[in-house]
Amino acid sequence: MAGLINKKLSRRRFLGTSGCALAVATVGSQATVLKALASSGEVTTSTVGKTKDVFTACGMCVNKCGVIARVRDGRIHKLDPNPEYIKSRGMLCARGNAGVKVVYDPDRLKFPLIRAGKRGEGKWRRASWDEALDLVAKNMNEIAEKYTRAGVMFASTEGTFQEHFFLQMAECFGSPNTVRHPTLCLSSNIQGFSATYGTFPTPDVLNADYIIMAGANRSEALITPDSIDQLKGDGGRRKLVYLDPRFTKTAAKADEWFPIKPGTDMAFVLAMINVIVSEGRYAKTFIEEMTVGFEQLVPHIKPYTPEWAAKECEISAQDIRRIAREFAKAAPKAVFYPGRRSSFATDDVQLRRAMAILNVVVGNWDTEGGLVPNSRIKLQKHDYLAPWYDDVPERLDKGSAAFLSEKDGSWTALRDRILEGKPYPVKGMMIYKQNVVMSVPNRTKTLKMMDQMDFICTIDIAMSDTAWYSDVVLPEATYLERQDPLESIGGLVPVVAFRQPCISPMFESKPNLWIMQNLAKRLGSEIAETFDFTIDEHIHHQVSKNPKILQDLKTKGVHYMKVEPSYGLTKGKRLRTKTGKIEIYSANYVKKGLDPLPVYNRHEEVPANKFRLLVGRSAYFTHGTTANNAYLHDLMPENTLWLNTQSASKMGLRDGQLVKVKSNVGEGTLKLEVTDKIRPDCVYMAHGFGVISKGQSLIYGRGACDAALIEDKLEPISGNVAMHQTFVEISPA
Amino acid sequence: MKKQRFAIVLDTRRCIDCKACTVACKVENDVPVGGETYRNWVTEEPVRGTYPNLGQSFTPSQCNQCENPPCNSVCPTSATGITSGGIVTVNPDKCIGCKYCMLACPYDARFYDSEKGIIDKCTFCIQRTLVGGIPACVETCPTKVRTFGDLNDPNSEVSILLAKNKHRVLKPELGTKPFLFYLI
Repeated sequence: MAGLINKKLSRRRFLGTSGCALAVATVGSQATVLKALASSGEVTTSTVGKTKDVFTACGMCVNKCGVIARVRDGRIHKLDPNPEYIKSRGMLCARGNAGVKVVYDPDRLKFPLIRAGKRGEGKWRRASWDEALDLVAKNMNEIAEKYTRAGVMFASTEGTFQEHFFLQMAECFGSPNTVRHPTLCLSSNIQGFSATYGTFPTPDVLNADYIIMAGANRSEALITPDSIDQLKGDGGRRKLVYLDPRFTKTAAKADEWFPIKPGTDMAFVLAMINVIVSEGRYAKTFIEEMTVGFEQLVPHIKPYTPEWAAKECEISAQDIRRIAREFAKAAPKAVFYPGRRSSFATDDVQLRRAMAILNVVVGNWDTEGGLVPNSRIKLQKHDYLAPWYDDVPERLDKGSAAFLSEKDGSWTALRDRILEGKPYPVKGMMIYKQNVVMSVPNRTKTLKMMDQMDFICTIDIAMSDTAWYSDVVLPEATYLERQDPLESIGGLVPVVAFRQPCISPMFESKPNLWIMQNLAKRLGSEIAETFDFTIDEHIHHQVSKNPKILQDLKTKGVHYMKVEPSYGLTKGKRLRTKTGKIEIYSANYVKKGLDPLPVYNRHEEVPANKFRLLVGRSAYFTHGTTANNAYLHDLMPENTLWLNTQSASKMGLRDGQLVKVKSNVGEGTLKLEVTDKIRPDCVYMAHGFGVISKGQSLIYGRGACDAALIEDKLEPISGNVAMHQTFVEISPA
Repeated sequence: MKKQRFAIVLDTRRCIDCKACTVACKVENDVPVGGETYRNWVTEEPVRGTYPNLGQSFTPSQCNQCENPPCNSVCPTSATGITSGGIVTVNPDKCIGCKYCMLACPYDARFYDSEKGIIDKCTFCIQRTLVGGIPACVETCPTKVRTFGDLNDPNSEVSILLAKNKHRVLKPELGTKPFLFYLI
């Protein structure tokens, strides 16, 4: 208890010394209200000092929900949802609410830091911005001279709205080696659906009568507006069928839950197609008019009967057949949810192709309650003339996947080639807020890769594990302290999001644009010229063809052009596929030596005495960035290892005991959670724990890190990493 | 104008246990973190059945703002009181932190705030409702589990919800007359 009180006192002291002593005044003013109430029974309004409400956008996850910051006497008191922000239906989740603590976090980075001990030892000295940026520029130039400009890689986060400036720096510096999160996430999904439709469409969850979700845990992996809309039952007609090896909170809300055997989702999907095609329940006219390759699908799908699939996926043939019939009957207001999550297995693109084709055969394309192409509000791009360098080679990971994104590459393939040093060395790392140590599977390899770097610079707001292993750490202003560029967010009802400073940046933190501009000055006039603008000029340029956007943002915090989805806009038009039609059969894949239609291959079985390690989201956390937030830490102070009740009893393990988890690439120790909510052959742990950095004081030493355990198996079409093909042993710790 | 009587109606079928309400409340009301200190909470009910036939529900809750609050009568310093709108409040100047009220509350809705040395509880965010707002938990909820309003106004959303739907209160047998209503 004494420890707890000390901690609280120290938190107070922190607030007191940081110019935010008004936290106490806020409490005081509220106490005045309550006093008046209880003594007299009368209501008196309180005085709370100068208040202002600031429209901005959340920065806690990918969704960027609209926020109104309530600022009292220069301190952000509360973040409320902006009711006008239609994409998130006027809500703000636990993380969004906890955003206040991102600003007033005793652990946040306050000043530029230069490593003073060995790398990863945690010894730092405070530096001025001038000294730190001089050192960064000197190292970047030295590496460029020694190894070419491709010798510096750039790893970027997404959704701060300022990542564009970081990628601009990469381009202008002259490195092709940029990497972002998609190949740790949904690049396989995007590839599978885009190969079919020429775009990655959005399910119209609000208007669908029948939804099948496979591993898209929308009650915990919150995506707006889907997470909200999935619960808006339409007069009781809405049905949600959910496949997941875990009984998640989505399972708790679903009409039916099937604990599908991991790695067999494709069998389920192919069998559904089999039923719908063989029983003539497909959308005949639509298929004739809008698609190519149905005639190849018919014979291809024949062997994939529900009876065959039942043996693979452990869902009965009767259920598969029934669900297929129900799905076809509800169509076109029926959707097999494309998901938005990390890949399952090394054939994930083909799984997503199968899901796409299932949607095609019921004809739900571009129609109410189906799969609808996204629209986006146009903003003017910031043009710049990047310097040209003659001697820069191609991406280091070129050729590592059939369809590699030029800008995002493949994280694990890139890392492998850096470790090999072939075809050329990469010796410098510039990192913008991506916590690569925590998020790229096989942490040992990531640390090895960092070990062989001559120089590592991380820009972040917290001492992440990645920052901890860096040579220079630069403190960025948080999303609540910055004016950011406008961001166009696509969807069924697209919006433009707005972020403005609720308070001035605390300590010596600076917006990323400022950091890039001041680094650019040190790298030479050619690069500096591309950054010669202010953020205000940038924003005015973005809206130069439509000034109403900025007016809307200033008056209601969001800009949109419609409040309902539009359907059928692609009718009679060419799609962005090779044939201009929806490609059930992909000739494009044939050219690359890939299966033109998804072929089912059985994956490795769980070896005896081992378990399959599953990944999955919690609604309280965003990847490896929020577990140290005091409000969220309060909800889940550490992660646990889920193990099925029967499996635990067979092994003589009990709830709450410490266990060691070991895979082929790493190990970890954490508490066991014995539960019926998981298949007997699987285990699960939440992401974001087991940190190395002592700069995350709340979670240091708590729980285990999944990235330390997960093997880096590559999905060869998209370059994505397969997250569900790691087997672990468990033993008492 | 008729006197107001505030109530919250909850549709727990919509609850996904995301804890947005809990964090929103902590921030809005400066509730300490790190202990068993909550003005509102979401209970993960025990899993029903055995694998693979499972079910689970989530129950958000908070102070019931009872018409007959047992916490009121036991307070030795009259720190607890009922104010307009039927909201049960604690006067921090009178509260001596003796915790009698915590023991008396059948809903476990009160907690001891060791930073301030007093008892604290949900007030339906009175500082917001005073100026025409709604409680933070109601406003922030992604799926809008809670609806807040005046039960003395027959046209309010809460009155209509209760008129149209079957509902229950917690521990009705105690005669506390709660104003937290759960739709069935």
